[in-house]
Amino acid sequence: MTGTLLAESLINGLITGAIYALVGAGVALIYGTMRVLNFAHGEMMMLGAYFAWMGVAVAGLPVLLAFALALIGVMIVAAVIQRAVVAPVLAREDWSFRVIAATIGLSVALQSAAQLIWGEKFNALPYFLDGVVQIGPMRLPWQRAAIPIVAFVALGLSALLLYRSRFGQMIRATAQDAEAAQAVGIPAGLVHTAVFALSAGLAAIAAIMLAPIMSVNPWMGLPYILKAFAVVILGGLGNFGGAIAAGLLLGLVESFGVMVTSSEWRDVISYGLLIAIIWVRPYGLFGGREAA
Amino acid sequence: MTEPLLALDAIDVRYGPTQVLWGVTLRVEPGEVVAVMGPNGSGKSTVLKAAMGLKGVSGGRVMFRGEDMTRRPATARPGAGMSIVLERRRLFPFMSVRENIELGAYARRLSRADLARSFDEVLALFPEIAGHLDATAARLSGGQQQMVAIARGLMGDPQLLLMDEPLLGLSPALQRHVIDLMGRINQRGVAILFNEQNAKLSFGLSHRGYLLESGRVVLEGSGVEMLDHPEVRRVYLGEEAA
Amino acid sequence: MRSVLGSRPWLTLALIALVLAAMPFVIDDNYLLHILILFLIFAVFATGWNLTLGILGQKTLGHHAFFAIGAYTTALLSGTVGLSPWLTLWLGVLAAALAGGLIGIPILRIRSMPHVAIVTLAFAEIVKLLLANWKDVTRGELGLWGIPPFPAIEIGGTTIRFGAGQIAGSFALALLAFVAVHALVLWLLRGRFGLTMVAIRDSQLAAESLSIDLTRSKLAAFALSAAIVGLSGGLYAHYLQILTPTSTAGPEMLVTLLAMIILGGVGTFFGPIFGALVLTALTEYLREYGDLRMLIYGATVTLFVILLPRGVAGLLTRRGRPAAAGDEPATAPET
Repeated sequence: MTGTLLAESLINGLITGAIYALVGAGVALIYGTMRVLNFAHGEMMMLGAYFAWMGVAVAGLPVLLAFALALIGVMIVAAVIQRAVVAPVLAREDWSFRVIAATIGLSVALQSAAQLIWGEKFNALPYFLDGVVQIGPMRLPWQRAAIPIVAFVALGLSALLLYRSRFGQMIRATAQDAEAAQAVGIPAGLVHTAVFALSAGLAAIAAIMLAPIMSVNPWMGLPYILKAFAVVILGGLGNFGGAIAAGLLLGLVESFGVMVTSSEWRDVISYGLLIAIIWVRPYGLFGGREAA
Repeated sequence: MTEPLLALDAIDVRYGPTQVLWGVTLRVEPGEVVAVMGPNGSGKSTVLKAAMGLKGVSGGRVMFRGEDMTRRPATARPGAGMSIVLERRRLFPFMSVRENIELGAYARRLSRADLARSFDEVLALFPEIAGHLDATAARLSGGQQQMVAIARGLMGDPQLLLMDEPLLGLSPALQRHVIDLMGRINQRGVAILFNEQNAKLSFGLSHRGYLLESGRVVLEGSGVEMLDHPEVRRVYLGEEAA
Repeated sequence: MRSVLGSRPWLTLALIALVLAAMPFVIDDNYLLHILILFLIFAVFATGWNLTLGILGQKTLGHHAFFAIGAYTTALLSGTVGLSPWLTLWLGVLAAALAGGLIGIPILRIRSMPHVAIVTLAFAEIVKLLLANWKDVTRGELGLWGIPPFPAIEIGGTTIRFGAGQIAGSFALALLAFVAVHALVLWLLRGRFGLTMVAIRDSQLAAESLSIDLTRSKLAAFALSAAIVGLSGGLYAHYLQILTPTSTAGPEMLVTLLAMIILGGVGTFFGPIFGALVLTALTEYLREYGDLRMLIYGATVTLFVILLPRGVAGLLTRRGRPAAAGDEPATAPET
């Protein structure tokens, strides 16, 4: 095993892990504030990629403008979903499974709707970053190298928002006790909607960064949602920081795991690890049960 | 006659298909201490939650300072001068004590300086938590948590403080402490509506009281009248009728 | 129990069986009968899954894996190894039951619903990936085809044949399995087993304090549920005679069955049967709009959860008598 191969695995792991962290942190944020497992989170990625592709490849908008519009579009869709589907289910008894079922249904319906609207064709978002970066002996296209950088900036900003702003205080208060938050005047319902939108925004960023090196298709969120759940469980359900750490860890484990087996076993390794860890540490690797 | 501070006008409340309050009418005058007393499951917590807007009413009206609050959400209350101390403290467990107390003033949108002034004023009532301001709320003892919860309620600068079972689960010494606090809060002109299962505590502490049974007000009167009422004495104080 | 079974469940089941048994004599259309066979197989699947999902209250999302295990085990042992499908069907059931017990063990340690849902879903994904990756044996996503049908049997001089083209025999077999499984489940639910299940669903703590052995009861329920689903997988394999990992253990199967159970009514005995009938029929009716199928299934699940959370069964009981608050399964304390 050469040093180059190790370095390559490390970097690939970081890139994949950064995407897992972005998607997983959003799932964790939603679970942390409203105890909802959002199975339609993968479709927020899918929509983000399609919106960006439409802006760039179809409408011919400048890249940054197209991405900004895509981000806003996804956040609006997520807010509508939270209002129309999640909030009504949460208002009832025995909601914890029902909301899972409702978002599973929504996930499949959105995939199917995307297929009807945009077709089954796999579309490509053109590379939007040029050049190659030299890391030691490795040459890495900026399009890939930028993924962890963008992810950490986005997650860093989210953490600042969460722990250093008045709005973040509202989110944390709502997460820890929604009724008590309402009692001091915090509009918990609006906070829930905002958290849904914010989390979908993180997923859309992940999808936009991935789109040029993968493809844009109706099912592109599917492989990531279960990974995001794995990340969220490993990080301790609802724990924002834990999800980020677990996302990176899972990316690295997969990357090195694939090095010793082969790529088709990558997901078996992740899910096997997930079940094994739940077996021995049901509340996650980092033990924290703190919400958001 | 002056306008009551809070007036519940024949409110009905349901949980799903089950109705828990039936035409409850109740008022709190400015500066008054009012008790809602009743056995377990009589709906006395629901009365407070309905007043606060945390539980919607299906019939009747909720008036606060002459304003109809019936259809307005809970979040409209703190800014209007109503605060609640929820049952079993209900702090934000992973936040610091300071953050918990400061959040009580959320609806007042104070400047940094005003917030600090208000914070110091309120904290003066609670010397026992002054040393724990940076501790995580969940790590405090039950009694200390109750103090933080009351402090959080006072940070809203309320004219009416709702207290849901403020004495529940406290040792007798702590109960006396909370009772003493309630008196001092009331002396500042804050009206208090609280609920309690024990008749002696309820009516002994209050200017007026209501007895709730199965979601209906069955008796009301001044604290003394209530304590002297033969029905209260027989059923709730365990005395044989003379 | 009444909220699960309704009144006079035996009579209802007997009537359903009679009406179904009359179908081949009334309907002269092999295509319609084919749809009914699929309905019977999926109804068995739905009832098996509903045992953990609705009646035990364990929100598992991986039962399509047991379907695939049952289907692939019997298909491989009969097709590749050459054993009789009449024998291998039961080996498939056994394999599914063992897998059910196996996945039940980590789940028993967990009381948090999201953990249960994710672990079972991850398990199903692993099964699908194993079937897809183990190409030497399963041919991967190319699929396993030419699976032998059940060998013909002779009863009173009449030869009954099974398999894809043999509608009469296949219908009879599917109906037999349907009736047998539902009679077994009904008999179990009417007894101590059923009370135990509902007690666990309504309150694990209360069930424990009644000295119900939670571990054994839950494992038994898991294994039985998986076995029934595995049986439906075996019937499916030998009827259609073709399998792929994605069509058996993929997310579409999960959503299809979830839609059937939710449309009919989670945790009711007859609801999932009704759901399976409606959605199997609807799927075939909309065959030419194939792209719409998953949109309809997905939307069915979401809309029913929002608008009619107790399914069609809930609608029927509500009309009969006022819905009592106690009808709702109490939300178990979650961590």
